Amino acid sequence: MATQTAAAYPAPRRPPTARRFALGRTERRNLALGLLFISPWIVGFVAFLLYPFIYTIQISFTQYSGFGDSLPIGWANYQQLLRDDLFWTSLYNTLFYTGLAIPVGVVVAMALALAMAQPLPEVPVYRAILYLPSIIPAFALSFVFVALLDPARGIFNQALLALGLPNVNWFGDPGVSKLALVILAQFGAGQAALIFLAGLKGIPQPLYEAAMLDGAGTWRKFLNITLPMMTPVILYDLILGLSQGIQIFTQIFVIFGNDPPGAPANSTLAYVPYLYNNGFRYSQMGYAAALAWVLFLITLVLAVVIFRWSSRWVHYDTD
Amino acid sequence: MARAIAAPVAEVPAAPEVGARGGWLRRRVRSEVVPRIVLVVMCLVFVLPFYWMLITALKTNEELTAYPPTLWPRSPQWANFAAAVEIFPFWRFLQNTATITALTVLGAAISNPIVAYGFSRIPWPGRDKVFFLVLATVFVPFPVLIIALFDIFARLGWINTFLPLVVPFFFGSAFWIFLMRQFFLRIPQEISDAARLDGANELQILFKIIMPQSWPALSAVSLFAGLHAWNDFLGPLIFLQDETTYTLAIGLTFFESQSQYDIKLNLLMAASALVVLPVVVVFLMFQRVFVEGVTLGSMK
Amino acid sequence: MGFGSDAFPRPADRTAGRRASRRNVLRGAAGLGAAAITGARTIVPARAQGEPVVFWTAMTDPDLAVMKGIVETYNGESPAVPAELVQIPPAEVTDTSKLMTAVRGGIGPDVYFLDRFIVAQRAADGVLQDLTAFPGGYTLLENHLPFARAEATYDGKPYALPHNTDARALYYNRGMLEAAGVDHAVLDPANGPATWDAVKEIANGLNETGPDGNYTTMGFVPWVNQGWHYTYGFSWGGEFFDAAACEVTPDNPQVVAAFQWVYDYCQELGAQQVSAFGSPTMQPGFPPQQHPFITGNLAMQITGDWMINQLRTYAPEMDYGITFIPVPNEGDESATWAGGWSLAMPQGAKQPEAAFEFMKWVAGEPGQRIYTKESAHLPTWEALLADDALFTERHRFFSQDLLPIAKTRPPLPVGAKYWDELTAAWQAVYLNEAEPEAALAAAKERVQAQLGRFCPVTIEG
Repeated sequence: MATQTAAAYPAPRRPPTARRFALGRTERRNLALGLLFISPWIVGFVAFLLYPFIYTIQISFTQYSGFGDSLPIGWANYQQLLRDDLFWTSLYNTLFYTGLAIPVGVVVAMALALAMAQPLPEVPVYRAILYLPSIIPAFALSFVFVALLDPARGIFNQALLALGLPNVNWFGDPGVSKLALVILAQFGAGQAALIFLAGLKGIPQPLYEAAMLDGAGTWRKFLNITLPMMTPVILYDLILGLSQGIQIFTQIFVIFGNDPPGAPANSTLAYVPYLYNNGFRYSQMGYAAALAWVLFLITLVLAVVIFRWSSRWVHYDTD
Repeated sequence: MARAIAAPVAEVPAAPEVGARGGWLRRRVRSEVVPRIVLVVMCLVFVLPFYWMLITALKTNEELTAYPPTLWPRSPQWANFAAAVEIFPFWRFLQNTATITALTVLGAAISNPIVAYGFSRIPWPGRDKVFFLVLATVFVPFPVLIIALFDIFARLGWINTFLPLVVPFFFGSAFWIFLMRQFFLRIPQEISDAARLDGANELQILFKIIMPQSWPALSAVSLFAGLHAWNDFLGPLIFLQDETTYTLAIGLTFFESQSQYDIKLNLLMAASALVVLPVVVVFLMFQRVFVEGVTLGSMK
Repeated sequence: MGFGSDAFPRPADRTAGRRASRRNVLRGAAGLGAAAITGARTIVPARAQGEPVVFWTAMTDPDLAVMKGIVETYNGESPAVPAELVQIPPAEVTDTSKLMTAVRGGIGPDVYFLDRFIVAQRAADGVLQDLTAFPGGYTLLENHLPFARAEATYDGKPYALPHNTDARALYYNRGMLEAAGVDHAVLDPANGPATWDAVKEIANGLNETGPDGNYTTMGFVPWVNQGWHYTYGFSWGGEFFDAAACEVTPDNPQVVAAFQWVYDYCQELGAQQVSAFGSPTMQPGFPPQQHPFITGNLAMQITGDWMINQLRTYAPEMDYGITFIPVPNEGDESATWAGGWSLAMPQGAKQPEAAFEFMKWVAGEPGQRIYTKESAHLPTWEALLADDALFTERHRFFSQDLLPIAKTRPPLPVGAKYWDELTAAWQAVYLNEAEPEAALAAAKERVQAQLGRFCPVTIEG
C-alpha cells in the first residue's frame, strides 16, 4: 500500500539550529494548540478507557456482587480462573470460531474481489449486494439465520436434502453449532471483499506486464504478484477479523439464547458471553472483571503474535 | 491509494488478460464467464437472508408450519407488518434507537474532525507518538471495559439513560479520528499557511477551509457512527434496562425470547425487516460513501 | 464538560476540568452533551412522593390479566396507599442486571415479582430487603408450605413472601396410545407411579422415522419441556446440596444414576436423532400449537400444571391423562419438583410500609385465593390447598397428590450458576456428549468454586 499520504505533512523535525531542550515560540504555541484540539480525545480516553481499565483491574481483586460493598480477596479470582474449565472451554470455542471463520472469510472475500476486479459492467450491482449483509444489524441477521437454518422449516436444510445430504440439526447438535456461526460470519465477507478489491486496484500494472513477457500464466501471476502485493491488506483484514471474532456475542445471544448460555452443552459458550454472564447473571463482578482483564491480555498476545508472524509473509515495499 | 478515494469505484482497471497464451474464447471464459458465475451465485446466496425474511414476514400462521416450507407466500399478508408494530412497542423502540443514533452521529461528526485536526494540521512535538497511542486503543476490546463501565455509570445514575451510549462519542473514537486524519493529511498544507497569513485562526481554518473539502470523510464517519448506534447490541443490553429505553435490537430480542408471547416467526421477520429497511435505504443512497470509507481505513 | 468533571472524581477530573473549562472550543460539544442528558432523562419517568406502591412483574398473559385483577381488587379495598402494576419486559429470570441496575439507579420498584429459587441469590447480592423488621415479617411465612418458606429465606431471615407454586407430572395422550394399540393402564395414577422402564417400553412402540431417518413420531423424549435435571434427580431420590458440608452435590450417586438412565435412553434411540426431534421445541419462540405433544406426534411428556390450560386452548379435543413422575424401581416413592414465584421488596423501595401491606395481601390468603382460582396455578398458602372449590379435578391431582411429594431446588446464593451448570451437564448427557459422572463432577467443581465464599449456608425447613 502506498504511504504517500502520511508523508504529505509530517510532524516537524526540529530544525538543526534550534536549541535542543527548549521549544521555540511557534512550537510552544503549536503544542498548546495541538493539545487543545486533541483535548476531547484526552478527556474521553481518560474517562471512558483508562479509568475503566484501571478500575477493572481493581474490581478483579475483589468479591463484588455489583451491589453493596466489595470485599478484597487478593488473587482468588485469578486462581479460580485458572482452575475454571469453563474459562478454557469459552476460550477454546472463541478461538475455534475465530480460527475458522477468518481464514475461510479471507478465501471467500479474495475470490469475490478477484471476480469483481474483472471488467464487467455490472460490478457495482454485485458490490452493493455483497456488501449489504455486512451492515445490517447482527441481531436481525441472526433472527433470519435461525429461520434459514431451521431443520424443518428452513430453506438451507431443504437444499441439503435436495442434494442428497443429511438433514443437519444446526442449533441442537454440539458438533456443528459452531460451524453454524462460521457460516453466518461469511455473510460479512462483502466488507473484506471491498477492501481486497481496493488493494487489487492498487497493484501496479507494469508488474503484470513484465510477468506476461516472462510467459507466466494466470495462476503463477496470482501466486507471484497478486498474493504478495495483497499481503498488507490481508494482514489488515486478519487484525480486523480477529478483533471482531474474539468479541463474538450478539449472534450467539440471539441464536442460541442465554438460558443457559452456550447451549447446546456449552458448545457455543464464547468468551464474552461467559464474561457477561458472570457479571450480570451470577453477580460475580469480581470474577467477571478478572475475565475481562485476561481478555485484554489475550487480545494483546494474539495481536503481537500476528504482527510478528506477519513480518515473515507481509510484503511491504511497493515499487 | 489516494486516487482510489478521490475518484473511487467507477471503473475497474482491466485485469491483465491481454495477449499471452490461449485463444480468445479461453480469455473470455476466464475474465467474464467464470467471474460472472461466481458473483451471481454468491449474490444469490447473499440475497437469500433478505428474501427469506420478506417471504416469511408475508406468510400466514398456517403457512409457517408447512412442510416442506413454501418458497413464495400463497397469499401475501401485508397486514403482518401492521401487526408486527402492534405486538412490540415498536414505535417507542424506534424512537429510542433513532434518538441514540442521531446523538451518536452528532457527537462523532463534531469531535472526530476537531481531534483529527489536532493530529494532522498542526505540527507539534510528540504528535505522532501520541497518535500512535490513539491507534493502540483500538486493541482494547469494548467487552474488557463493560464490568467497570457498568459500575461507573451505575454510580453516576446513568444506567437506563442514553448517556452511556452517546456521551463517549462526543470525545472522538480512535478509528474515526484515524479516518479523518488520513483525509486531512492529503489536503495541501499551503492552503492552511495562506489562511494563517490572512489572520485566520485554527478553528476558522478547520471549519471554513478544511471541513468543506472533507465531506467524503465526514460523511463516512457519520454514516459509520450511525450504523454503529443503530446496530449496537451489547451496549444497550448492558446499559438500558426497561422498555422505556430499549432500542430495537434489545427490545425485539427480549420480546422474541419469551415463548409465552407467542410471537410468530412471520411477525418477528416483519419487525426485523422494518429495522433493516432504513439501513438498506441509507446504504443505497450513500453507497459511494460507504465504499470509500471502508477502503479508506485499509490504507496506511 | 460539566458532566465530565462531576462524572469522574478521580483521574478524569483534573484533565477534564482544567483543559476544557478555559477554552470555548468545546463548549459546543458540552452543550450537545447537555442536550443528550436532558434528552435521555426525559425518557426516564420520575416518581414523586404520594404515588402508588409500584409493583413490577414480568408476567405475561393470561397470568398477567389475573394479576391485574388482583391489584384492582386490592385497590378497591381502599388501602392507605394504592398499588400500581408495571409490566416489565420479560428478561430471563436469572439475569440480575435488570433489577439491580434499576435499584442502583434509584428507579427501582417497591415490590418485585421474583422467581422464588433465585431469592437467596438476590438476598446474598444485597438487592433485597430483610423483611424481619416489618410487622409479622417472619411469622407470616408460617402460613406457607414449608418448601416455599425455605426458598423465601436466606441466612435465617425472610426476604420474600411466597406467592404461588407449581409441580411437574407425566402427561400422556390416551387417544394416541390407544390408536397404537398400547395398553396404558400402567399410566393410570390410580395404579400409582409407573417405572421409567415401563414408560420406555411403551414409548418404544410408538417411534416412527421418516424417509430421511429422522423421527416423525416419538413415544417419549426424556428432556422435552419440564424433563429437567432436577426432575430426574429427585425421582431417583438424589440430593443436590449437603448443608452440613456446605457442598453442592450434583455428583450424588442417585443423581448420576438418573442422568445415566437418560443417557442410555437417548443412546439407544440415537441421541442426535432424538435431539433433532426435540430440540426445536426447546428453542425460544417455538409456537406452542406446533409442539409435537399438541400435534399428536409425541405421546408422553413431563410438564407442569400450567399445561392443563394450554391444552384447553390448543388441543381441546385431546383425550389425555396426568400421572405421577415415574420411579426407578417398582414400589419406589414418586417425587416431583416444585417451583414458583414470590413477592420481594428491593432496597431503596420508596414506601416500604405500604409496600409490605400490599405484599401481605397479594401473597396472603386473599390474593392467593383469587390467583389460584383464576390462573389455575397452585397456592403456597397451606390452608387454601384444602379448599376444594378452588380446583378442577385435574388440577386437584397436583394440589392433593403431587405437592405433598414435591421437592425444591436448594435455595443457594449461587442458584443461577448452579442451574446453568446443571443444564449444560444435562444437555451434554442427553446428547451423549459426556458421561454423566464426569459432566456432573465438573459441574460440581465450578459451582463449588463460587459457593465456597458464602459458606456456611443455612437452609430453613
